[in-house]
Amino acid sequence: MKKLRLLLLFGLLCAAHLLHAQGRTVSGTVTDSLGIKMPNVSVQVKNSRVGTKTNDQGEFTLQLPANNSTLVISSVGYETEQVTAPASGNLLITLNPNRQNLQEVVVTALGITKERRSLGYATQTVKTEAIVDKGETSLLNALQGKLAGADIVGSSGAAGASTSIILRGITSFTGNQSPLFVVDGIPISDATDESTISLYTNQSSNRSSDLNVNNIESVNVLQGPAAAALYGSRAAHGAIMITTKKGSGRRGVLDVTFNSSYSQQRVYGFPELQNKYGQGTNGVFNPTTTFSLGPAFGSTPSLFNGLIAPPNTTYYVNGAFYTAGQTVPFQAYPDNILSFFKQGQIFENNLTINTGDNRNNFGATIGNSQQDGILPNSSFKKTNVGFNISNYLTDKLSVKASVTYFATVQEGPTQGSNGSYSAYANVYRIPRSVDFNYYKNNYTTPGGYNNWFIPNIYNPGIQDSSAGAAGDNPYFAAYKNPIRSNISRVLGNVTLGYDIHSWLNVSYRVGLDTYTDRRKRSIAIGSSQVVRSVFTNTSGTTTGGIMEDVYYRNELNGDLMITAKKNDIFLHGLNANLLLGHGINQQKFQQVDQTGYGLAIPNYYNISNASNLSLTNEYEYTKRLWGVYGSLSLAYNNYLFLELTGRQDHSSTLPAAKNAFFYPSASLSFVLTDALKMNSNILSFAKVRAAYARVGIDPPVYSLDNVYTTGSAGNNVSFYQFPFGSVSGFSISAALGNKGLTPEFTSTLDLGLNIGLFKNRLNIDATVYNSKSTDQIVAVALPASTGYLNKYLNIGAMTNKGLELTVSGTPIRWKDFSWNVSGNFSFNRNKVTAIAPGVTSFSFGGVAFSGLAPTIAVGEPYGIIRGSKFVTNDAGQRLVDSTTGYYLNYKSDQTVLDPNRDWIAGLTNSFTYKRFGLSVLVDYKKGGQFESFTVSTLRALGALKVTEDRDQPFVLPGVIDMGNGKYRPNNIQINGQNFYNVALGGSTGSTTSNEFAVFDATTFRVREVSISYDLSGQSVNTKIFKNIRLTVFGRNLYFYAPNSPIDPELSTQGASGVGSGTATSGGLVRGLELGSAPNTRNIGISLRATF
Amino acid sequence: MKIAYKYLLPAFFLLALGSCKKSFLDVNTSPNSPVDVPPRTLLPNAEVALGFTNGNELGKVAALLMQYNAGIAGSQAGAYDQWNIGSLDNQWSNELYTNTINNLGIIVQKTEGTSRAYAGVAKLQMAYAFSIATDLWGDVPYSQAAQGLDENGFLKYPQPRFDAQQDIYLGNASLGIKSLFNLVREGIADINSPSILKPASDDIVYNGDLSKWTRLGYSLLMKFALQVSNKAPDTTRAVINDIVNNNRPFINDVNGTLDFNVPFSKANPNPYYLQDIGGTIPNTQLLSTRFYNLERSLNDTIRLSKFYNRPTGVYVTYDNGSPFAAPLPISSRSQYSTYVLGATRSGEAPIRLVTAFRNYFILAEAALRFGVTGDANTYYQNGIKASMISTGMTTTEISNYFAANPTIVTLTGTTDQKLQQIILQKYIASVGNAIESYNDYRRTGYPALQAPTVTAGDDPNIFPWRFPYTVQEGTSNPNQPNPRPKTNVKVWWQ
Repeated sequence: MKKLRLLLLFGLLCAAHLLHAQGRTVSGTVTDSLGIKMPNVSVQVKNSRVGTKTNDQGEFTLQLPANNSTLVISSVGYETEQVTAPASGNLLITLNPNRQNLQEVVVTALGITKERRSLGYATQTVKTEAIVDKGETSLLNALQGKLAGADIVGSSGAAGASTSIILRGITSFTGNQSPLFVVDGIPISDATDESTISLYTNQSSNRSSDLNVNNIESVNVLQGPAAAALYGSRAAHGAIMITTKKGSGRRGVLDVTFNSSYSQQRVYGFPELQNKYGQGTNGVFNPTTTFSLGPAFGSTPSLFNGLIAPPNTTYYVNGAFYTAGQTVPFQAYPDNILSFFKQGQIFENNLTINTGDNRNNFGATIGNSQQDGILPNSSFKKTNVGFNISNYLTDKLSVKASVTYFATVQEGPTQGSNGSYSAYANVYRIPRSVDFNYYKNNYTTPGGYNNWFIPNIYNPGIQDSSAGAAGDNPYFAAYKNPIRSNISRVLGNVTLGYDIHSWLNVSYRVGLDTYTDRRKRSIAIGSSQVVRSVFTNTSGTTTGGIMEDVYYRNELNGDLMITAKKNDIFLHGLNANLLLGHGINQQKFQQVDQTGYGLAIPNYYNISNASNLSLTNEYEYTKRLWGVYGSLSLAYNNYLFLELTGRQDHSSTLPAAKNAFFYPSASLSFVLTDALKMNSNILSFAKVRAAYARVGIDPPVYSLDNVYTTGSAGNNVSFYQFPFGSVSGFSISAALGNKGLTPEFTSTLDLGLNIGLFKNRLNIDATVYNSKSTDQIVAVALPASTGYLNKYLNIGAMTNKGLELTVSGTPIRWKDFSWNVSGNFSFNRNKVTAIAPGVTSFSFGGVAFSGLAPTIAVGEPYGIIRGSKFVTNDAGQRLVDSTTGYYLNYKSDQTVLDPNRDWIAGLTNSFTYKRFGLSVLVDYKKGGQFESFTVSTLRALGALKVTEDRDQPFVLPGVIDMGNGKYRPNNIQINGQNFYNVALGGSTGSTTSNEFAVFDATTFRVREVSISYDLSGQSVNTKIFKNIRLTVFGRNLYFYAPNSPIDPELSTQGASGVGSGTATSGGLVRGLELGSAPNTRNIGISLRATF
Repeated sequence: MKIAYKYLLPAFFLLALGSCKKSFLDVNTSPNSPVDVPPRTLLPNAEVALGFTNGNELGKVAALLMQYNAGIAGSQAGAYDQWNIGSLDNQWSNELYTNTINNLGIIVQKTEGTSRAYAGVAKLQMAYAFSIATDLWGDVPYSQAAQGLDENGFLKYPQPRFDAQQDIYLGNASLGIKSLFNLVREGIADINSPSILKPASDDIVYNGDLSKWTRLGYSLLMKFALQVSNKAPDTTRAVINDIVNNNRPFINDVNGTLDFNVPFSKANPNPYYLQDIGGTIPNTQLLSTRFYNLERSLNDTIRLSKFYNRPTGVYVTYDNGSPFAAPLPISSRSQYSTYVLGATRSGEAPIRLVTAFRNYFILAEAALRFGVTGDANTYYQNGIKASMISTGMTTTEISNYFAANPTIVTLTGTTDQKLQQIILQKYIASVGNAIESYNDYRRTGYPALQAPTVTAGDDPNIFPWRFPYTVQEGTSNPNQPNPRPKTNVKVWWQ
C-alpha cells in the first residue's frame, strides 16, 4: 500500500514532466542584490510542478506550459519573486535577501532542521551578516541588542572579559544560568573558570568567546524549554544553536572568503572627576594617603595645610624628596587615572574555503584575532583552525565530520576591588595631585622593587615604610605580575548515517569538546602583592611567587537517532516524522593548582625557581547522564503541525535509587492563512502557536554526602592550614549534603503569533510565556550557629512571565534604495513565590561583598541584593542622631537594590543605496539597579566630581526623633569631607548603609553603526573576485544613562556565578560593579572579499 | 528494512540497557574529600581552631580596644582602635561556630558512647569556645547551636535560638539549657571514664595527658565562676572554694608546664605573626603609647621588652585613635616581640589560652572579694611571677623586680584598690590574650582606660561593651535580634 502510494507520486511527477514539453521556452539570469549571479535557484511555474534550477552562471531555461507564464523564483534566504515571463527575450531577475523568511529552515534541538512555519515555539535566528564586520570578536557581545528576551551583559571592557547571557529570565535559584551552547549539534562548554580567588584575579573569559564569529553561518536561539526539551537538563535555560559555515552545495564551485578588520578601543563611560582638591585629608596635605581630601589647588603653602614639609619630616612626592621647610609643588593631574587605560586595538584575519555539491562537501577555515586591551600589558588572542567534510560513502551510508582547534591566550593584570592584589583597584586610589606619568615611567625603584606613593616596606630604595601592604604601583602590577591563561581546545564530531529506507534513517553522532586552560600568575620579586608572604625568606622582603592553575574540561556526547518519515499516513496530506533516540553525556573536570614562593632568580617564572612550594590543590569531578528520548511530529497539509516529545534522563548526581526523571513537551503550530485560504496582499501569513514543556535539572556533583576537608581557617589577613608538622587535621565541611535531592523542574507555557503583512514585507512575531520553576536545588545559607554555612535543598518556586516581540520589515524597497527595520522588545517578570516552610529569604551560601548579599526572597524577583540601610521612621524618613548629625543607626538585611530590568529593546535600521549600506543598532534597557564600587570608592576618596562642593557644610536629609512620637527635620551641619566619606557610607563598608552607591541602570545606547561599500567583481568585469565589501564600523558610540554617573553595563562577576569557580553553590550575581575596568568605544574598518 | 528490524533496533535497545548498568552512573562519590574521618584527625584541627579563633581577628580587636596596641588610621586595625568593630562575619561564622564549635560537636557525637576521653576533651574546649562567643556578643546561640543532624539527615535546629547570657552561664532547666559549668563538669567526668580510643600525639596541646585536661576543666570552672561574679557571687564563691578546699587539680604550675597553650611553629605560624609581619596586610598596628607609658610607670621594662621589640633601641609607639600618620619607617616601630611571636619572631609562640598566672590572679580576686580560701597577696604575687616566668624573665630578673618594686607587687589599700592592682597585673600579663582583659575590664572597670583620641563606631561616646552581631547570621537566622543591640549596651555579667 505504501509502496503503491509512492509509485503514484512518482508517476504524477513524470506526467508533469511530459506536460511542459509542449509550451514555449523562456530563459533568464538570476542575480542577487549585488549583481552576483546565483546558481541553484529554484525556478518554478506557478501552481504547477514544472520547474528547474539555475546553473553555475545563474542562468536557466524552462519550457513553459501553454496557459501559464508566471514564474516563481525562490532560494533559501531570499525573498521569493513572482514574474510573468515575457513573450521573448531574456529575463533578468534580482532576488533580495529575506530578513525573516517564514519558509526558512531553522536548526532545532539535537541539530534537527525544521521549517520555521512548523514550529510551535519561539525561536530567533541571527544570520552571519548581522554579527560579522561589526568589530566584535565575542559571539555573545555581537548578539547584544539583536535578540528579544535575551539579557546580555559584559563584565568590563578588559580584553577577553566574560559576558553573561540569560534567556527569558532566571529559572534556577543557583548554579549555571546560561543557555546550552551547541555547535553543529554538539553541546559545548561556555564555562567561565574563575581562578581560586576570583575577585582578585583577571577577568576570565567565557569559553563561547573561543568561537570564531566569522565562521558562523547562523545562530538559532531557542529561548524556551519547549524548543530545547529534547536536550534535557542541559538546555533548561534555553539553547544557542550555532551552525558553522559549510560546503556550498554547488558542484565545482569554490567559495573563498577572506576578511580582515582592524579596530581601536578607547575607554568610555568613566565617571567624571574633580580637579580642585589634591591629596590629603581634612584639607591637609599628606603624601601617603589615597584620599583627595587635601588642600585646594592654588592654596598658599603653609605648615598648617601641610604643603610645607613639617619639621623632622621628609616628603616623597612624585619622585622627589622634600625636606623640612621645603614647599611641595601641588597641582592637579586631570588625566592621571584615565591615562592608565591605553588605546586598545583588535586586528582580525580570517579565511574560509568551502566547496562541494549536494552530497559531498568540504570546508576549511583559519582565523586569528589579536586584541591589545585597554589595560597595560593585557591582550586576548584567538586562533582557530578547522575543517569539515560530509560525504556519501555509498548510496546509503553517509559520514559527516568536523574538527576545530582553538588556541586562546588571555593575558592581563589583576583586577577587582581588593587593593592589595589588584593592579586596577589601585588606579582608583590615585589622588588627583599624583603624577601618574612619573610612576608609569618609574614603576620600579632603582633596586627593582615596587615604587609607589604609598610607602611600603618592600621598596627600600626609595620608601621603606607603610601602613599596611598598600599594594603595587598599577604599572608594576601590570608589567611584573601578569596573569596569563592559555586555552587549548578541540571540538570535534563525527556522524555516521545510514538510509535504511527512503523513509528510515539511523545515525550515530559522537561529539567531543575538550580543553585545557593553563594559567600562570607571576609575582615579581619586589612586589608587595605577596599573597602568602609567610613563605618569604625574611620578614619585610618579598621574594615573589608563582601560581600555576590548570583547568581541564572534557565533555563527550553520543547520540543514536532513528528517524522515520512517512507522508500521507492514514489520510492524504498528513505527514509524520518520528525520532527515537538514546544519548549519553559525560563531563569531566579537573583543576590542579600549585603555588610557590621565594623565587631565587628574578624574572624566571618556573615553579622550580620557588624555594617554598605551598598550597597544592586538586579538584575533579565526573558527571554522567544517559537518556532515551523520542519525538513525533505530525504535519497536516502543511498548515497544522503537532510535535510531541519526551525524554527520560538518568543522572549520576541523583541518589542512585531515584536517578531517573522524565519530562515531556507538546507544541502546536497552525498556519491560519493557509488553512483558511485567507492570505491576501495585506495579510500574507498568519500563524498561531502554543507549546508546553517541562524540563528537569539534576543536582550538582557530590551534593548528596557530608564530607570532611583538610583543616584550615582564616582569611587573607591570617590563616592556618593543616598539616601541622606531621599531624594532619580534618574538619567537617561547612556545606551539608542532602541524600534526598530530586531534580528541579521548569514548566513553561508559550503562546505565539506570527504575522506577515504586505507580502511579508512586515513580519511580526509575538510570544507570551509563563513558566514556573519548582523544587529548586539550592545551597541555602544556614545560620553559622548551626555549625554549617549551607545545605543543598529542593525548595521553593519561582515564576517567569514575559513577552517577546520582534518586528521586522522593509518600509522602502526601491530599485537602488531599500530600508530594512528590525526591532525587538521584551520584558520578563520574575517572582520568587516560595522558598521553604518558614523561610522567606536566603542569601547565596558563603557570598557577601562588603555586607552586600545577593538574596532570594519570597515575593521579590530573583537576585535582589540585601545589605544595610539606615533606620527610618514609619514615614520613610531617615533618622538622624540629635547630637552628631549623622544617621542614627542602620538595619541589616534590607533590600538595597533590584538588578532586574523593566524591559529591554533593540532596533536595527539598515539602509542600502546602490552599493552602500548603513546599519544602525540602538538599544534601550529600562530599569534595573546596580551598586557601583567604583563610584562609591572615588566619592569616599574625594576624587569624584560631585565632591567639589565639599567646602560647604551639609545637612543630611532626615529627621530627628523628638522622643514624643514626633520628628523634626534635621538641621545639624556636618562638614563636607565627612558627608562624602562617612555619611554616604564610605566605600560600601559592611558596617554601614550600602544604599548611597545604588544607581538606576537605565541606558540608551548606540551599540553598533556600520557603513559598507560593496564592489562586485562583475561590475568591474573581473573574475578574480566575486565581491569586496569595505565596512567602517563603530561600537558603543554613545550611551545615555540619566541616573548613573558611570556606564551601568558593568557587572564584575561577568558570566560566572559567585562561588562557581569549581562548585556550583553560588548563584548568578548581577548588579554589583566591584571595580570593573571601564567599557570601551570601538571604531574600526574591515574588508571582506569573496572569491 | 528487514535489516533494520532485525539488527538495528535490538542493537539500540541493547545499548540502552547496557547504559543502565549501575557502574556507568556510579561516579558520584567525591574524589576530593573523604566522607568520614577518625576522631584523631578532628582533634588537632579543633585545638588549633580554638587557639586561632582566640588569637586572630577577635584577639586583635580586643588588643586594640584594651590599648596594648594602637591601630594605624586608615587601616582595619585603626577602625577597631577607634571602636569601629563592624561585622566580624568570618570570625563568628567560620572560625567560631563552624570550624571550632561544630568540629568539637562532631567529636562528641562520634565518641560519646565508646571513647569518652575524646568527648570530654571536646566538651571542655566547646565550653571555652562558647564562653568566647557569649562574652563578646552577649546573647548567642548555645543550647541549639551546632547540635548536628537528626536520623533523617536534617538539622535538629536549623535556626538556633539566641540564649540569654545568664542562661548560658548558669543554665535554664525550663528552656533545656545546660550551664557552661555543667558542660565542663560533664567533660571532666568523661575524661575520667573508660575510653576505647584516647588522644595521643593527635592531641597537640597535651599529647594525650588526660590529667592535664582535667586540670583544664577545673581551671575553666574558675574562669567562668569569676566571670559571673557581678551577678552570681554565690556561684563564684562556691565553685572556686570547692576547687581550692577539695584540692581539685587545676593549672597551677608557676613554670607554666600545665598551661593550655595551643602550639604554632615557623611553618604554621600563629595569627599574631601573620597579622603584623607575615600576612598580606601587615604593619597596621604597633605598641600603644599608653601601654608603654603604663609599663614604664611600673618599671616593668624587662617584661615589656619580651612583649614588644625595639628595632632602633628605643620604643617607637603610637597613640590610640590617633588621626596622625604613624611613625616611619615601619622598621623602627615597636611590635610584638618574642613572647607573642616566638624566639625568632616568626610566629612560633603558642596562643596562651588558660595559664597558671591567670588562675592565680583569679584566685587573688576570689580571695579578696569573695573570701575564697587562701591569701590574696600570695596568689597575686604568684600570678606576677608566673607571668614573668612565661615571658622568659630569669629568676634573678624577677626577684630583682620584686625587691625594687615592693609597692607594686604587694596588695595594699582598700579592697577596691587591691582589686585594681590585681586586674592591672592580670591585664599586663594578658598580652597575647586580650579577650581575657577585655572581659575583666568590662566586669571591673580596670585598668582605667582613656578613650582613644578619635572615636567612631556605633556610639563614639561609649566604650564598646559588646561586639555587633554579624550579617551572615542575621540574614539567615530570624532569631538574631534585629535591630541588633548597639555596642553601648552592656552584657549581662557586667
